[in-house]
Amino acid sequence: MENNPAPELLPGTLYLLILGTLSRGPLHGYAIVKRIKEASREGLRIEDGSLYPALNRMLVKGWLASEWGVSENHRKARFYRLTREGRKQLERETGEFDRLVRAIQLVMRTV
Amino acid sequence: MAFWKELANRIGYLLGRSRFDRELQEEVLFHIQARADELEEAGVSAADALRQARREFGSTLRAREETRAAWQIRWLEDLAADLAYALRALRRNPALALAAVGSLALGIGANATVFSVAREALFSQPSCRDCQRLVQVSAGGNSWFSMPQYRFLEAAHVFDGLAGINIGMVVNWRDGNRTYRLAGTHVTDNFFAVTGIPVAMGRPMQRGDTNAAVITHGFWTRRLNSDANVLGRQLALDGQPYTVVGVLPRDHRMLAGFGFTPDLYLTKDPGEAMLYARLPQGVTRAAAYARLQTICREMDRVFPDANRPWTREVSLASVGGMERLQQGGQMAMPVTAFFAMLVIVTAIVVLIACANVSSLLLARAFARSREFAIRMSLGGSRNRLIRQLLAESLLLALLGIGAGLALDLWLSGLLSGLRIPTPLPIELLIRPDFALLAYAAAITLLVTLATGLAPALKGTRAGIAGALKQDARLAPSGRTLRNSLVAGQLAVSMVLLCAALLFWRNLSNAASFNAGFDTAHTVVSTFQTVRGSYTPRDFAALVDAATERLRALPGVEAVSPAGAVPLNPFLAFSRNGGKLRPDAGSRTVRVQYDSNAVGIDYFRVMAIPILRGRAFQESDRLGAPDAVILNETLARRLFGDANPVGRVLRFPDNHDARIVGVARNSKYVTLGEGNSMALYSPFAQGKSSAFAHFFVRTGGAPDAIARKVDETLGTLDSAAAVETHPMREIFAGALLPSRVGAAILGAMALFALLLASVGLYGVLLYSIQQRMREIGIRVALGATPGDVLTMVAGQSLRLLLPGLGIGLALAVVAVRPLAMFLVPEVRPADPINFVAVAAVLALVAGLATVAPAARALRVDPSVSLRHE
Repeated sequence: MENNPAPELLPGTLYLLILGTLSRGPLHGYAIVKRIKEASREGLRIEDGSLYPALNRMLVKGWLASEWGVSENHRKARFYRLTREGRKQLERETGEFDRLVRAIQLVMRTV
Repeated sequence: MAFWKELANRIGYLLGRSRFDRELQEEVLFHIQARADELEEAGVSAADALRQARREFGSTLRAREETRAAWQIRWLEDLAADLAYALRALRRNPALALAAVGSLALGIGANATVFSVAREALFSQPSCRDCQRLVQVSAGGNSWFSMPQYRFLEAAHVFDGLAGINIGMVVNWRDGNRTYRLAGTHVTDNFFAVTGIPVAMGRPMQRGDTNAAVITHGFWTRRLNSDANVLGRQLALDGQPYTVVGVLPRDHRMLAGFGFTPDLYLTKDPGEAMLYARLPQGVTRAAAYARLQTICREMDRVFPDANRPWTREVSLASVGGMERLQQGGQMAMPVTAFFAMLVIVTAIVVLIACANVSSLLLARAFARSREFAIRMSLGGSRNRLIRQLLAESLLLALLGIGAGLALDLWLSGLLSGLRIPTPLPIELLIRPDFALLAYAAAITLLVTLATGLAPALKGTRAGIAGALKQDARLAPSGRTLRNSLVAGQLAVSMVLLCAALLFWRNLSNAASFNAGFDTAHTVVSTFQTVRGSYTPRDFAALVDAATERLRALPGVEAVSPAGAVPLNPFLAFSRNGGKLRPDAGSRTVRVQYDSNAVGIDYFRVMAIPILRGRAFQESDRLGAPDAVILNETLARRLFGDANPVGRVLRFPDNHDARIVGVARNSKYVTLGEGNSMALYSPFAQGKSSAFAHFFVRTGGAPDAIARKVDETLGTLDSAAAVETHPMREIFAGALLPSRVGAAILGAMALFALLLASVGLYGVLLYSIQQRMREIGIRVALGATPGDVLTMVAGQSLRLLLPGLGIGLALAVVAVRPLAMFLVPEVRPADPINFVAVAAVLALVAGLATVAPAARALRVDPSVSLRHE
């Protein structure tokens, strides 16, 4: 794993990944990183340092809401969940992303 | 929408910043702990797990910093930092801060209050329903109509209702065993229905109401102690019971405007009335006017008046704004002039204040140009420096606006509801005008930022090399700007000082002024009976009895009734005019004179000498031939140098009177009048049937006798209202305009002078500091202290002389219109005024030069040359 660094994220996809991860229910920050890592089979890794700025930017925009709760190992943790605004944003970004990937694939196939 | 939500989120963050930081810290720790827990489960030792988790996370500080950045509003936090720095800078220089903030506060606060008062007094919208359709009717150049004329007009049905009102009627109110004079307003019973004046409690008057009263909020709270059961309460007014049917709201504004506030409205035949009409729906003012013209032609037939046809000068004036002001006529003139003067003076002071603030900021910015140069050379960006300077201006402006707002609120509270005891009392409801304040605040912000920007740009433009060079610091253009600001301030101070000096001289002149009669030993008692309760003959007997009883009081030397009180603008002599015929011949002389009906001992009481002939006597009674006494001016005008005593005078109404004497000239209506013409007639031959003023001359103190006079007159007719004051007090009323003018202008002028001297002092001191090196070189080259002094004084003079010159030129023009407020002995163009003011200004300028000169003399070349 250490010798095979995860590919860099496409710009803007971090929000999409976080939104997608949270669409199944509230999670705390560490769980978000872990869920993404596992779901991508270690293919995507989010820098711990860039997670919180991103989460907070999304809080500012009102896509997420946060509240304090208790984690699975009984520690106090901050849980993030999607707001209605966030759900709409997820739909929007998913659509845009799909179109983008299809377009890139088209180009790559034809060139 | 999203933007506002975001902004709200960010502001929420700003408010709970410390909690946010704590929670973020906790969250990051949790993240690392969770990773460590996981590693530990995989078999790593606890200590290693924690270390590895920390390493994987990277810099927690950077993460926290970036997270915080997600929330921050960058410019707002920068601004806060700039303001905090500016506050420290201002605290280092409290004199400057105080001068600037004080100037701005006075500018905003005083100006806003003056405008609020003026607007309320002159332009406030009266309380009525649908005021646009309400008009005041006048015809034949007159807005007063008799009741038959009113009824005629009403019957013509030109309007959707026509109501009459007579303001300023004195009403006697018997409460317990005392009688008070109230300012009443007589209205026709449909007055409230036509005007739609709202009431706060009870109901308005209705058609068919008799003996109904609607009282004002002020009367209710002041005189009836806010009696909750006031509705239905009986008031004994002019000897008749009236029922209170309604109470007006606190913000009731009379249709007549000018803040007039009576105590109550009564349904009572007004005798003569001003008419208010409601235009019918769908009828324009022009259409109503045309129909009114037709009715006025009818009026000419029914109520013919050869001198004044009704069709001439017909008008329908609206009940607010400019038209009401014009309708106010004679009375509106001095009031408007007074406010205009006040507004101009405050505006001038504000101008000086603004000039001072910008001058202070300019001087400061130039003094700090080295600081800027150093900061720029250390890598500070020019934009950052400019922003810093703007922040200082902004802070000054905000503090000034805050203080100005506080001043306005305080002054408004102080002046609002103040009852000025004119016969129809004036009570202005002054509310801070927030639109105006917002406007003033915006202007202040703009001006302060603009004045702050100029030095900021200039101070930082020189660049590092230029600014560090000592002598290049004071850019010549900056010096010119500041110098002209100081000269301008001196000029404006000169104008204000000239005006203030005129008022002050007027005051001292008027106070020591010989009015032509004695005021020190006299009391005046106004005796007002209920109208219609006496025939003229009965009333004359009552006055005789009163005179006898008063004369019997211990200490009383002489007593006389009179119809008017001299030098009292509200109880004054009546002004008559017309063609008089000396000796009842064909020769006519057109004159304007003041007249008064006086008793036998009037001239003794007032100590006015009779120069020729005699005073009135017992035989000048009703039924005897009419007698008159002229004053010197009128006698000379009518008869030249010949002796008028014994000759006959024919009046315009063709009645004749024999001249029995000539009295020494005195003042009649205002202290400012010249030698006016005046005529006295015997009180006993007058037609007065309701009121008289009793003039009582006493050997002792006037205050002691006043109560006894009150009691004595009170026993004669318990329904009559009696008010007794020492003559001195009434006289003081005549000085009021002068006092107010002198006080306001004096304060403003002193303030302006103070500001100008601060400005001059500041500019000189700064310039000495700039020239420290130059002075050092001169002293080293052998300049004596005298040379240095000459140099500083020369600089001071170069500022003072243009200021004085411009000020003089302005003052000569500006004080000319003040003549209308002044006694004739004080001439606005008197050169002594200008010389005195110039001397004062020069003296103050000299004082402001002392400290900078002393500073220059202390310059030690060995120190100042090593200064670098």
